[in-house]
Amino acid sequence: MLRLDLLDLIYRNGGHIGGSLSSLDLIETVYTSGLFDFDQDHFILSAGHLAPALYVVLAAIGRFPREWLNNYSQFGSPLQGHTALGLPGVEYAAGSLGQGLSFAAGLALGNRKMKVICLTTDGEQQEGQIWEAAAFANKYRLNNLINLIDVNSLQIDGSTDEIMPLGSLIDKYSQFGWAVEEIDGHDLKAIKTTLKKAKQSNQPVGIVAHTILGKGISFMENNFKYHDVKSLSQDLYEKARKELESIDA
Amino acid sequence: MKKPEKNLNQSMRKAFGETILKLATINKNLYVVSMDLKSSLSLEEFADVFPDRFIECGLAEANAAGVAAGLAKAGKIVFLCSFACFSPAINWAQIRQSICENNCPVKIIGSHAGLLSGNLGASHQMLEDVALMRVLPHMEVFAPLDANEVRSLIPVVYQSPSPAYIRLVRPETPVYSSQPFTIGKSNVLQMGNQITIVGYGPILFQAFNFKEAEIINCSSLKPLDEETILKSVRKTKKIIVLEDHQQNGGLGEAIAILILKAGIKCNFRHLAVHDRFGQSGNPEELYNFYGLHLDRL
Repeated sequence: MLRLDLLDLIYRNGGHIGGSLSSLDLIETVYTSGLFDFDQDHFILSAGHLAPALYVVLAAIGRFPREWLNNYSQFGSPLQGHTALGLPGVEYAAGSLGQGLSFAAGLALGNRKMKVICLTTDGEQQEGQIWEAAAFANKYRLNNLINLIDVNSLQIDGSTDEIMPLGSLIDKYSQFGWAVEEIDGHDLKAIKTTLKKAKQSNQPVGIVAHTILGKGISFMENNFKYHDVKSLSQDLYEKARKELESIDA
Repeated sequence: MKKPEKNLNQSMRKAFGETILKLATINKNLYVVSMDLKSSLSLEEFADVFPDRFIECGLAEANAAGVAAGLAKAGKIVFLCSFACFSPAINWAQIRQSICENNCPVKIIGSHAGLLSGNLGASHQMLEDVALMRVLPHMEVFAPLDANEVRSLIPVVYQSPSPAYIRLVRPETPVYSSQPFTIGKSNVLQMGNQITIVGYGPILFQAFNFKEAEIINCSSLKPLDEETILKSVRKTKKIIVLEDHQQNGGLGEAIAILILKAGIKCNFRHLAVHDRFGQSGNPEELYNFYGLHLDRL
């Protein structure tokens, strides 16, 4: 179970666990649903701090040895704290939010035969560049572009509504000329069905996926303090592990 | 080699537009990403002839840099074209991450650099572009001397696997260069023994008033032709670095470090803008006011 891999990785070296747990089901489905062929298609993780979620998925599908997860964010490791080039499967070096959607749009324009799936977060929609990219994707009718938005409603310092309310992302993307879908971002079947539908669209597609920060670990769920952890006590680690194992069973 | 003639001024921007049109005819992979300045950068014909390869992003420089990087990742050769005060000024973070960190060989054209933008005033006299670009890993930085060098530089630089910044100026300027352009090489425009004068762009033309000076056209700012510069300084023991740019972060600093590292004792002067913004005026008035006239020394 990938959530256990993620917990172990964070317990060893710290990292952005809250958003990684909220986006994990989305990223896993992108890679394992069989809907995309990554010899041709592309996954652009715009939110580079969600690297741990991408890493455990890439290790699980055999892009690199699982032992490499042990050295996440350590000196000399290709598993950098935020995604960087050099690790098999990482297509975009990120960490400065709001940039990946433009990059994905350029890729999609450069080859309309391939699908480009970009993952952004709800906090990230506060970056103006996102809306520049949204307008661009509409102008060039990039129907091979999918923006998968992890909406866990929290960001580093609190709730997205407190920090900077944006209103309805569904309305906003619709008004920017996108097709928009709304799903439960932990419902694997819904994620797959919606991605399948998005592949057939004649417009760029935004998928507003409602998720839970820290999903699967009770004391982390919906607690913005778990955006990023420096270290996790052994007690909390064992508590979290038990919870995840019980879900697994 | 002969001195530039004043009545034969040409536009670097026009030379760029013509050159890129020719290259696009040969190379079907060449794209232009524009930010609503195609007329100012002489790209109208390109847009007419190659509408599918002319990507108009509107007034959105951050997105444009990201789109350019994505196109490059898809295997295209991409020119990202605007004024220097917008790109790379507005979109530096996108150039840093999406272009440089991701190793996408986008060619950034920044026009209207320096005080030569004249009456447009401070906002459009980009004096910090070389500093912003030369600090970035992977980035190459070029500043052609004149329209001729634009014609010889663009076809060389567009084949480079690195991202690059190319600095152009607004007005028509004298035309002098005839030597082929090589990345990392500086051409000696005039041989001399008394003093070395090194710079980039049209500001360098005033050096021709000094018959005994060795004049080096440093159009390849990064990589820098260390050998040619050091060889000249070892000979003359006097150097003036001339640039229409802020003193901070410019070529002068790069050369000062070079000379210090080489342990050469010499007389060093740096004519550049000292921690100030520009203002409206004609180039002559502005060069006078900001102390960029060699005659002053």
